Amino acid sequence: MAVAIRLRPRQREGMSERFATSDPTPGWDIARHPLAARVLHNRKFQFLLIVPNQIVFWTVIFVGLFGTSIPGLNFGAAITWYVWFCLVFVMMVVVGRAWCAMCPFGGFAEWIQRKTFFQRTQKTLGLGRTFPEPLARMGFIIPVVTFLILTWIEEFFNIAGPGNPAATSFMVIGIVATALVFFLTFERRTFCRYICPLTSVIGTIGSMGSVAGFRTRDRDKCVSCETKDCMRGGDDGFGCPWYTWPASADSNLYCGLCTECYKSCSDDNIGLFLQKPLTSVVAPTRRRADVAWAIVLLWGLVLYQQFNALSIYNNFDNWLNTHLHFPHYPNPVAYLGLIGLLALAMAGISWGIAALSARRDVHFERAGGFVDRGSKFRAYFVPVSYGLIPVVGADYFARQLPKFFKSAPRVIPAAQHIFGFAGTNSSLYNTRMLSDSRIIMVQVAVMCLGTMGALWAMWRITNRELVGVSRSALVVRSATLGLVLACGAVAALLYVAIQAAN
Amino acid sequence: MTQNISPGVDVPEVRPSVKILDDRCAGCQECVVRCPTGALSMDSKRWVALEDSTLCVGCRQCERTCPFSAITVEGPMMVGPRIESFPSYPLDFVGDTHEIRSGFTEWTEVLAETDRCLQCPDPTCVRGCPAHNDIPGFIAALRHRDLGGAHEILARTSIIPDICSRVCNQAAQCEGACSWSLAGGTPVAIGRLERFIADSREVPAPKVAHTPEPLSIGIVGSGPAAAGAAWDLVEAGAHVVVYERDQTPGGLCVWGIPDFTLADDIALRPWRQLERAGLELRCEVEIHVQDFDRLLTIHDALIVANGASVPLRLPVPGAELDGVVDATMFLKGAKAALVATGDPQTFRATMGLDGLEEGRRGHVLVLGAGNTAMDVARTARRLGLTATCIDWLDERFALARPDEVAEARHEGVEIRFAHTLTALRGETGRVEHADLARTVQPRADKRPSVVTDDTVELDVDLVVMAMGYRNDPDFVAALQGTPIRRERHGVPDRRWQASGILANPASAYANHNDVGALALKREIGLWAAALPVNERIWAVGDALTGPSTVVEAMAQGRRAARAVLDASPARPEVAQRRYSKWKPRVLICYESVGGKTARAARDIADGFAIHGLVAKALPISKVDTRALASADCLVVGSWVEGFVVAGVGASKSMRTWLEQLPHLGAKPCAIFCTYGISPKGTLDEMRRSLEAAGAAVFAHAAFGPKELSTVGGVFNPESFGGELAGRVATWKVASVPVVA
Repeated sequence: MAVAIRLRPRQREGMSERFATSDPTPGWDIARHPLAARVLHNRKFQFLLIVPNQIVFWTVIFVGLFGTSIPGLNFGAAITWYVWFCLVFVMMVVVGRAWCAMCPFGGFAEWIQRKTFFQRTQKTLGLGRTFPEPLARMGFIIPVVTFLILTWIEEFFNIAGPGNPAATSFMVIGIVATALVFFLTFERRTFCRYICPLTSVIGTIGSMGSVAGFRTRDRDKCVSCETKDCMRGGDDGFGCPWYTWPASADSNLYCGLCTECYKSCSDDNIGLFLQKPLTSVVAPTRRRADVAWAIVLLWGLVLYQQFNALSIYNNFDNWLNTHLHFPHYPNPVAYLGLIGLLALAMAGISWGIAALSARRDVHFERAGGFVDRGSKFRAYFVPVSYGLIPVVGADYFARQLPKFFKSAPRVIPAAQHIFGFAGTNSSLYNTRMLSDSRIIMVQVAVMCLGTMGALWAMWRITNRELVGVSRSALVVRSATLGLVLACGAVAALLYVAIQAAN
Repeated sequence: MTQNISPGVDVPEVRPSVKILDDRCAGCQECVVRCPTGALSMDSKRWVALEDSTLCVGCRQCERTCPFSAITVEGPMMVGPRIESFPSYPLDFVGDTHEIRSGFTEWTEVLAETDRCLQCPDPTCVRGCPAHNDIPGFIAALRHRDLGGAHEILARTSIIPDICSRVCNQAAQCEGACSWSLAGGTPVAIGRLERFIADSREVPAPKVAHTPEPLSIGIVGSGPAAAGAAWDLVEAGAHVVVYERDQTPGGLCVWGIPDFTLADDIALRPWRQLERAGLELRCEVEIHVQDFDRLLTIHDALIVANGASVPLRLPVPGAELDGVVDATMFLKGAKAALVATGDPQTFRATMGLDGLEEGRRGHVLVLGAGNTAMDVARTARRLGLTATCIDWLDERFALARPDEVAEARHEGVEIRFAHTLTALRGETGRVEHADLARTVQPRADKRPSVVTDDTVELDVDLVVMAMGYRNDPDFVAALQGTPIRRERHGVPDRRWQASGILANPASAYANHNDVGALALKREIGLWAAALPVNERIWAVGDALTGPSTVVEAMAQGRRAARAVLDASPARPEVAQRRYSKWKPRVLICYESVGGKTARAARDIADGFAIHGLVAKALPISKVDTRALASADCLVVGSWVEGFVVAGVGASKSMRTWLEQLPHLGAKPCAIFCTYGISPKGTLDEMRRSLEAAGAAVFAHAAFGPKELSTVGGVFNPESFGGELAGRVATWKVASVPVVA
């Protein structure tokens, strides 16, 4: 005798319209391949991704604390700032949240939270609290703020210079400890979703990536599913640690590629899909205001970092420090003020485009909370910000290049130095992969590529989302594409200016 | 949609409010489909849930069922106060066996209480009820004053609503699992509503279907499990013979539960109706395990429902003294003494209480403070004795119903929790003194520890050991796998998880019992009841699970009856004739990741199809006990996991599944595996696991890349299916084949 259950009918109306643009191509499901399926089903898969990084990062901590104080020769400082940061950006741009799948910070804390390295356990360690709703409502704002704070700390102590290698160790220990506290206090990967300084960067810039993440193969089946194992956990997998339902994911924003949903699904209805680059920038119909604010703040930060390499900024910072009695660069008022002003300037430009273009007969519905579009301003600001992602991503990537090209070979003598070999006289220690002028060329090329990507993305976004609500298609297209060009040009010119200043 | 608030209750100033976390709401609709008031809907543009707090009644089902904790409810629960009724105690207990608890008497009370029910779309109360009564269904019928409809709804799942509504511990079952209770409020009085239905109109008698060649089923015992099984079998037209060792049927419901809780007239009602419907009742016939073979020659199947009848005894010094008896002896004797024609004095004399000093009433020490102990102590009070119950558990973790404990105390029973018996003493060969020691139990899951230096002496005239019962060891030896362990490893049933019954901490109303966990444990017994323990033998009730509850036993009995009817077993002499057109049902259970094993399973099914047999292929995640029970033959297949050098075997999921299989009662089974390089000992490992679960493995095959890629001509999954089909088709009934 079946239990008397009379669930209300599930709504399907509006579903296809909502997800039509963002659904990946069925043929691009790599989990259909038997070998890939076996690998992804294996519970040791993520563990094996994390372990090498775990070894490297504990080495970073140990060597940073107890190794040589010469930054370029200290393996901890060298691998973190010459190679790792650059590789993370490459991974973001190509894959999305690949780093999150192998992250040693979250991975370590998750092992402890789950009380296992890879098995499917039933009980977790810690309080398992829900993240406070008012904070969770802010979406990407907290992570972008933590990223700004971490960057300021890094600049203040010259950690990424790299300066004192021990500072790198303390920073890594600090992140691991914070992660552990959050993993033991809150449920799932609350830290990764709401706190981690990198999550806002990877989430936004990662949307350029060509991995759509784990998505449903048949949405109707997912909607009818009575158990939702991918969310609650099944026999073989935990419920999604990132609070993402593969049936309603419209981008790779919150897919941590941990494979848990794929393992949990008892219907084999989840696949790992590839997508064309920039799809997650262009395709989503539900754009989020918190993501938009994160993008403009990140844009503000990277421009600040370019700007502070100019002597004009140094003079300004020194002047401000003298008057505010702050010890040295970077002055927090200048830091936050400039970033805030740049972000507000972007918002202002969007407001201006909205004021210039928006049709008067269109009523902009006030719906949803902070994360959603709910006004005329947001109706322009949010999609325009998404369209800028390739420029922002390219700028961050370009900014990492000098360190990589100048100092990446130092990682080898630094590794040898742990075992007592090599030193500052090693040929690799003094090898540069590219000259300064060539680095500038590469940076400008990267910015051009990013700007082209952004032009394409902005064109698609504008046509789909802004032309319909604007009085003149020509005006709105010109304004948004012009903004992209201006942003790309400013960033590229700043690289040239930095070189000239040097 | 209207808000559910009882008439006459003012709408509170502060209303409940729902908050949906837009950032995290995935639009899965788990809350929307379960909201009883329609306060939640979907925003199709954003694909997130949308709330309407004006419709919210604060039941917090959405909060419990949201997989991502994306929804919170604040504010009061908008439900009226529960309509209570209080026990009616007699002025003088001695000799009085009238029922203490009363039900609803007026329709106005009933209608007010039914108004408190939310008619939850996914009713947790239904899951909390061991029989899965359609509680919202019968409450809806009551709202329309439709007693016939309510009976009809109850009859689908329960044949003893009159008994269950009196003896069930609703606080740990349906009422404990009521949405209001899970939300921290007071549940709907489900038990008393059920009782009102049963008391207002007699439970409808079984409707007997006529079949040309009825099954002949023997049932050992006549407790609630036997009644449940007999009811469904009689209704299906089977010829049912019940063997009962006592003079009257009813088992524990009659001799074990005193009249002041459950009157004999009510306890015997199902048996009266069953006898009228044609059931053959053979009382004073004791069945031993040696009789099984003989019974199987005259019956097509045997259902063992003889309960757990061996009383537990505390092995303390002095336990062998006169005046130390068990609860069965006491309750049976007291029951006979307290009827109108009974003689309490003779019973007192039998118990050795006739020679007491003048003015001394006789003091009974009852070991245990569960429901049986309470029954013993309260019965002792009705015999004019004084009674003390001792239990080594802390009162916070007591096993008895809180209302039962309160009633016993009201009747003058002294209950000492956190005490244990260390010795019994008596200088004349009869027990006179009991030494009690204090115990300490800090947590419910911690065994109490005895404080040896804190003892007291108690003068006693009779000691009744009422700590519980265990199964008859002879039956345990004969019925493989009984009593089953009601433990399940791995993730709990996900439909139960989805309902939210497992999401909450233990409810205060349910005396801090975790009602969801309890319900799931009971479910294991219900699943196991569908499978035979031996060929043509099913075990149900306490015989299957060890001591449990009346409603659980009844539900298991019904589940087993349906399994028997589904399996249609036959004794050898009629098998040939009855099943000339019988076609075995084959279930292929497989575990696949890359798709090869799934394809092999489908090919095997095709092999069966070529021979005209229907084989159903299901991934193991979808194979439940019902599917297992309704299959006459199993084919189990797995992919091979591991590396040749490091050891290979069946996949982890398959191994876990095999470990958790219920007892398969000699079900015929074939096994196969798919491998890349070598299967090594995979098939042997699977065979061992299946045989440990009681299956009879009769064929096996391993398919490598070569076999999987060939089509026709050589040995491949399809030809394996064909071979199996050839063998299975020769069976006349579901029986253990000769292992090949």
